[in-house]
Amino acid sequence: MAVFFATYGSLIVAMLLAAMLALSLYLPLLAGQLSLASPGFYALGGYVAAIISTRVVPFDSGAQAYIWRMGTHEVARFSGPLYPVSLLIVEMLVAGVLSAVLAIVLGLPALRLRGIYLLLATIAFVQILQVVTQVLDLTGGAIGIFNIPQPFASQLGYAWVVVPLLLLSAGFVYRLERIRIGRAFTAIREDELAAAAMGINLAYHKVLAFTMGAVLAGIVGVISAHSINTWNSRQGTFDAGITYLAFVLIGGSRTFLGPIIGGIVLYALPEVLRGLAAIPGLPLALAQLLKDGRLIMYGLLLVLGTIFFPQGLIRPNLFRHRTVEATPRKIEQQ
Amino acid sequence: MFAVGYTLIFSILRIINFAHAAIFTLGAYFTYALTGSAFGYNGLLKNSALPIHLPFLLAAVVGAMLAGLVAIVIERLAFRPLRNRGADPLLSLVSSLGVAVVIVNVIQYLVGAENYSYPAQPYGNLPTAINFGLGSQRIPVRTVQIVIFGVSVVIMLLLTYWLNRTKTGKALRAIAEDATTASLLGINTDQLILLTFFLSGMVGGLSGALIGSSVSIAGPYFGISFGLRGLAVIVLGGLGDIPGAIVGGVVLGLAEAFVPVQYIAYKDAVAFAVLFLMLLLRPQGLLGRAELQKV
Repeated sequence: MAVFFATYGSLIVAMLLAAMLALSLYLPLLAGQLSLASPGFYALGGYVAAIISTRVVPFDSGAQAYIWRMGTHEVARFSGPLYPVSLLIVEMLVAGVLSAVLAIVLGLPALRLRGIYLLLATIAFVQILQVVTQVLDLTGGAIGIFNIPQPFASQLGYAWVVVPLLLLSAGFVYRLERIRIGRAFTAIREDELAAAAMGINLAYHKVLAFTMGAVLAGIVGVISAHSINTWNSRQGTFDAGITYLAFVLIGGSRTFLGPIIGGIVLYALPEVLRGLAAIPGLPLALAQLLKDGRLIMYGLLLVLGTIFFPQGLIRPNLFRHRTVEATPRKIEQQ
Repeated sequence: MFAVGYTLIFSILRIINFAHAAIFTLGAYFTYALTGSAFGYNGLLKNSALPIHLPFLLAAVVGAMLAGLVAIVIERLAFRPLRNRGADPLLSLVSSLGVAVVIVNVIQYLVGAENYSYPAQPYGNLPTAINFGLGSQRIPVRTVQIVIFGVSVVIMLLLTYWLNRTKTGKALRAIAEDATTASLLGINTDQLILLTFFLSGMVGGLSGALIGSSVSIAGPYFGISFGLRGLAVIVLGGLGDIPGAIVGGVVLGLAEAFVPVQYIAYKDAVAFAVLFLMLLLRPQGLLGRAELQKV
C-alpha cells in the first residue's frame, strides 16, 4: 500500500485536481452558461503561486533537492526546507480574489452574450491571456517560471490540501444546488426568459456562477503550480478547456457528482490504458494508440457522449426513483 | 477564405462547426500526400508516400474533394443524430469540438507532428513575387498570396450567386429559415445539408492546401490555431454572412499588420482582442443588421 501511494501519489493528487477543475466548469454550466474560461483562471492561479513563491517571498528553493529511491519505497521525496503551508493558503486566497475580480470584470459584459457568443468570448480570453503571459517578463516569458518550492515532502502530501478542498467545494456545490441561488441557476439554465419573468436577476446570477467557477479554477491553479514545480504558458490552453469539458459532459452535467467522478475517472483512464498497452502480444499500432491516444479518446467520448448521453453518465436520479423514472418512459413509447 | 466554409454552415444550420478547422488541416495533408511527397520520421506511416505524383493544382482540387467527403462523413456521424433529436445547438458544437480533436490527433498519430512543405514551385513557372510598385518604389507581393486572394474572391462570388440566385440556394435559405417547414414543402433537407457540408469541406480543404503552399503545413495543429483566428474573422464579418467573412478577413489582416513594432510580440493576441471587442460592441458583425432575438 505504501509503495502504491508513493508511486501514484502525484497521479492521485492530479486526479482530484482534475475533479475540481471539472467542477469549476460545471458551475457556470449550472446556470446554462457554456464557458471555456476555466483554463484561463487556472493559468492565472498558477502564475500567482509561481510569482509569489519565487519572487515575492524570500524562500530559497535552491536548497530543495529530489531524492529518488525505489528500493526503500521513497520515490521523489524532497529534502531541505519546506515551503510553509500557511503561505500556500495565502496564495490560494490571493489567487481566489484576483480570479474573482477578473471574472466580474470579464463576466459583466461577456455574460450579456448568449450561447455561442459567450463561448467565443471565453476562448478569446484564454488565448489573449496565453499570449500576454508568453510576452511579459513577470511571468517568465515563453519559458515560464521554474523551481516553484515544495510545501510537502512528497507528492501525496498535497492530499492534505486537495482532499479537504475537494470535499469543501463538493459540499458547497451540493448545498448550492439546494438553496435559492442554485434554484435560480437551474431556472436560468432551463429557460432564461421564464426565469427573468419570475423576477430572477439574470445578470447577477450569471456573473455569480461564472465567478464561483473562476475562483475555484484559480485556487486549483495555485496547487497545481506547486505540485508540478514549474509553470508556463502551455498550462491552461484551449486543449485543456476541451478536456475539462469532456470531464463534465461525460461525467454528467446535471449533478455535482458528475464532474467530480468524470474528472477522476477520465483523468485516470489514459494511465490505465497505458498499463494495458504493456500487455505482450498486442499489435504495435494498437499499443501505440493506447499509449498516446489520450486526446483521440476524449474527442470520441465527446462525440459519443453528446449523441447518446446528452446529460452525461451520472444523472441526478441515478440512485433513487429508479422505478419512478422508468414508468413515464413506457407511457411515452406507447 | 478559410472563414467562408465556417460561415456557409453557420448560415444554414446556426451551428459553429469546429471540425472545420480539422478539415482545413486534412485538405492540406491530402494535397501533400497526393503530390507524392513522403511523410517524415515519426508516426505510423513514416517514410511512406503515395505512388502517384499529381501536379500541385490537380492535387489541391482532389484533396479538396476528399476533404469534402470527410465533411459528409462527419455530418452523418456527428451532426445528424443530434439534429434529428432536435438537440441544443451547443451540443452540436461540443460534438464538433470532439470531432476536431479526434481528426487532429489521428493525423498526428499517423504522420507525426513535423512541418511539411510542398515541393518547390507549386504554381509552375510563375514568378514567386510580382512587383506592384512603380519605378524605384518596389512593392513586391508574393504570387501565392495573389492566388489565394483571387481564389477566395471567386469562391465568394460563386457561393453568393449560388445561395441567392439558384433554386438550390433558395431551398437552402428556406432550410435556414425553418427546417421543418422546408421539409414539409418538399425540400430534401438532409440531402441539401449534406451538400452544404460537402461544399464547406471542399472550400476548407482547398484553403488548407493553398495556405499550406504559402506558409508550409505547421503540424496537425495548424488548422486549429487558424480555426480560432477564423472565428475572429467570422464574428468580425457577422456570423453567417459570406461577403462579411471576406471583409472580416481583410480587416483582421490589416489590423495585425498595423501592430507597432515594439508590441509585435502581442500580434497573436490581436485577433482575439478584436473578437472580444466585436462581441461586446457589435455581435452582429461589421456588415450585419441587428437580429431580433426569437423567443
